[in-house]
Amino acid sequence: ILYCGFYLWKMNNMSPEVALHRISPELRPLLCSVVRNGRVGLDSTNCLRVTDLKTGCTSLTPGPCCDRFKLHIPYAGETLKWDIIFNARYPELPPDFIFGEDAEFLPEPSELPHLVQWDAGDPECLLQLVKELIQQYHQYQCQRLRESSRLLFEYDSLLEDPNYGRNMEIYAGRKNSWVGDRIVLVCPSFISIMSSLSQDTALDPGEDVALLSVSFEDAEATQVFPKLYLSPSIEHALGGSSALHIPAFPSGGCLIDYVPQVCQLLTNKVQYVIQGYHKRREYIAAFLSHFGMGVVEYDAEGFTKLTLLLMWKDFCFLVHVDLPLYFPRDQPTLTFQSVYHFTNSGQLYSQVQKSYPYSPRWDGNEMAKRAKAYFKSFIPQFQEGAFANGKL
Amino acid sequence: MAASISGYTFSSVCFHSANSNSDHEGFLLGEVRQEETVSISDTQISTAELLQVVEIHNHDPCAQLFSFYDYAGKVNEDNLNRILKDRRKSVIGWYRFRRNTQQQMSFREQIIHKQLTQLLGVPDLVFLLFSFISTANSSTHALEYVLFRPNRRYNQRITLTIPNLGNTSQQEYKVSSVPNTSLNYAKVIKEHGAEFFDKDGVMKDIRTIFQVYSALQDKVQAVCGEVEQSERVKEKIQEDVNKLKQQIALRKRKTAEEERRLREAQNAESHPTSEENSEPSETSLLSRVAFHAPSAPERPGTSPNPPSYSDLLSQEDSLLSSSSSPTSAALLPRPQAVGSPGHPTPGPLGMGLDRQAAGQEDDDDDDDDDDDDDEDSSEYENLVSEAAHLPMVSASVLAQGRPAALSPDGDARGSQTS
Repeated sequence: ILYCGFYLWKMNNMSPEVALHRISPELRPLLCSVVRNGRVGLDSTNCLRVTDLKTGCTSLTPGPCCDRFKLHIPYAGETLKWDIIFNARYPELPPDFIFGEDAEFLPEPSELPHLVQWDAGDPECLLQLVKELIQQYHQYQCQRLRESSRLLFEYDSLLEDPNYGRNMEIYAGRKNSWVGDRIVLVCPSFISIMSSLSQDTALDPGEDVALLSVSFEDAEATQVFPKLYLSPSIEHALGGSSALHIPAFPSGGCLIDYVPQVCQLLTNKVQYVIQGYHKRREYIAAFLSHFGMGVVEYDAEGFTKLTLLLMWKDFCFLVHVDLPLYFPRDQPTLTFQSVYHFTNSGQLYSQVQKSYPYSPRWDGNEMAKRAKAYFKSFIPQFQEGAFANGKL
Repeated sequence: MAASISGYTFSSVCFHSANSNSDHEGFLLGEVRQEETVSISDTQISTAELLQVVEIHNHDPCAQLFSFYDYAGKVNEDNLNRILKDRRKSVIGWYRFRRNTQQQMSFREQIIHKQLTQLLGVPDLVFLLFSFISTANSSTHALEYVLFRPNRRYNQRITLTIPNLGNTSQQEYKVSSVPNTSLNYAKVIKEHGAEFFDKDGVMKDIRTIFQVYSALQDKVQAVCGEVEQSERVKEKIQEDVNKLKQQIALRKRKTAEEERRLREAQNAESHPTSEENSEPSETSLLSRVAFHAPSAPERPGTSPNPPSYSDLLSQEDSLLSSSSSPTSAALLPRPQAVGSPGHPTPGPLGMGLDRQAAGQEDDDDDDDDDDDDDEDSSEYENLVSEAAHLPMVSASVLAQGRPAALSPDGDARGSQTS
């Protein structure tokens, strides 16, 4: 079982504002749109990043006059580091590029309309040009994939499926490098689920992403490493990184079989979580109706907590209900708390009850009724305990 | 492939580049030639190495960027011609200068390079990339330059040498093959050339020197002749010496036998000494000198006391009267070798003479002589006084310290002892 890593985080070490400040004023708008709005590729949570600002002017030129920099572009699980070279003295001229380690990547200028008709007055021009370059880069990688027929087969088969089709990034690894070939794709069914999820939970489809990355360390596909990349909020919503295990890639298997498998797993999980959400909501609603004024507070977003203030024979006590993630499979934790008594450490005296009569098959109403009955039976015991062990 | 750029062209490119406030580019003019080096070694007959040499003579800076290509990087041939004019034929490459960037060809540079290769018809068009790196506080600036030949798949970077940039006191000052196109230079040389050059265009001094050289050559040739002559004479004399040595040896053996017989006869009869005395004079006239050898000096180990030399001396004096003095090879102490340090310290007489008497090869003698002169001083112990008394033998005979030649009729010259 492969570890599904928690991978995405915002990587801006240098805040964009600082970088822009050093850029020559005429070039600033171009860079602005790249850094602030730039989202290229599948990984929309990872912004483009700018580092290594340098100038092409003489060292005596007063700043700010930086006109060349390194652009970090996330792509297929890698980060491309491209040098972009402008000339501050001639800001109307289009930039030049050095494609880092991809020395053989040479796109056809005719495929780059924003280069051929470069318009320095349009702030989006650079961003569009970068997007076009990445498209060309994607094709370049596909070309390189042609050297390995096995992966080509995988790619082509995925390409034909309308589910995955265009939403893929390919990275054909280098020879003599530990980086193998990689295909990154968006779990398609996930997109629809995410939108339904977002209605119920605090998820933002624009911000959140679920990507399946499959790395092939060798051409025969005997060493295949799949990874699921989820944005933090999704991961949290699904129960943390430990909760999601994707199956290992079967040796001799194909992506066209495997990917749906993973997506299904994910879908199921999400469904489950959604169901859980609904269930929790139902539970809370039931308690609200049963205990009415006794409800102190409850979690109105995730419906994971509920606090009741009850009285039994002039004895007031609090009950905190914690609903676990896998409710109703797992039963809620009840924490009884005395309002009068303190423990030695200065906390309110409380007792936790994890096992009490419960069945996941009950509906919310039934659970509320049974809970009430349980309270009645348990409270005398609790009261005694409070008086015995607690201080007033 | 080797590449070189003249110092002034290099500095000119740097000057133009450093003074531009943006990236800068231009063309490189020069020539490419093939040099074939044929090396002959013991292991193989010959190997020919073909080296392509690129020489950059000049450069043509572009006044601005994008002057011959557009935004898409497409080269406009008309603009190119307008910039290069008639220098187009001598374009062998182009260069670009950009500050604070990597030493790697950029996207547009690669595109342009491909087109230039085709348009200019230079298959191995080179690209010179200048990069100027400054530290953040502007305290250190580095000008880096790399010469690429991007049309090759491998070994794309070539070392660019700048002749005479370095310590010329240790290296040779190289003259480049850059053609001198300066009109001013041509004018001045024409004006003042007559003082230095003769009508054929050869420098006058050269002729004079050549004459001196010829004269020296003639003299050397003459000396060669003389040396040859003397060598031949020496050879002849050496031959004679060898022959005589052989004869001496032969006679020694004969006289030794006779001696033995005489002694035996004497012992048997106890005869008077008259026979003894008469014997030596009878046995041979030619070997008189040789005869003395066994009787007077002793073989090594047989007699610790060297005999009196008074007899020897008197004989030798008379023998040495002629230039090719017939001194006994056996009697004469080894003369000083030419150039040997100081005179030979004497050693046991017997040993030294024994070697001569045995008629050893002259070469061996010579080698031994030289060695012994330095190493074994004991051999010449007894000869010190002799060496002082003996006159110097003429060089023609004793040039290498060999024993003096015997004249065939030595006995006739020398007085005879009896």
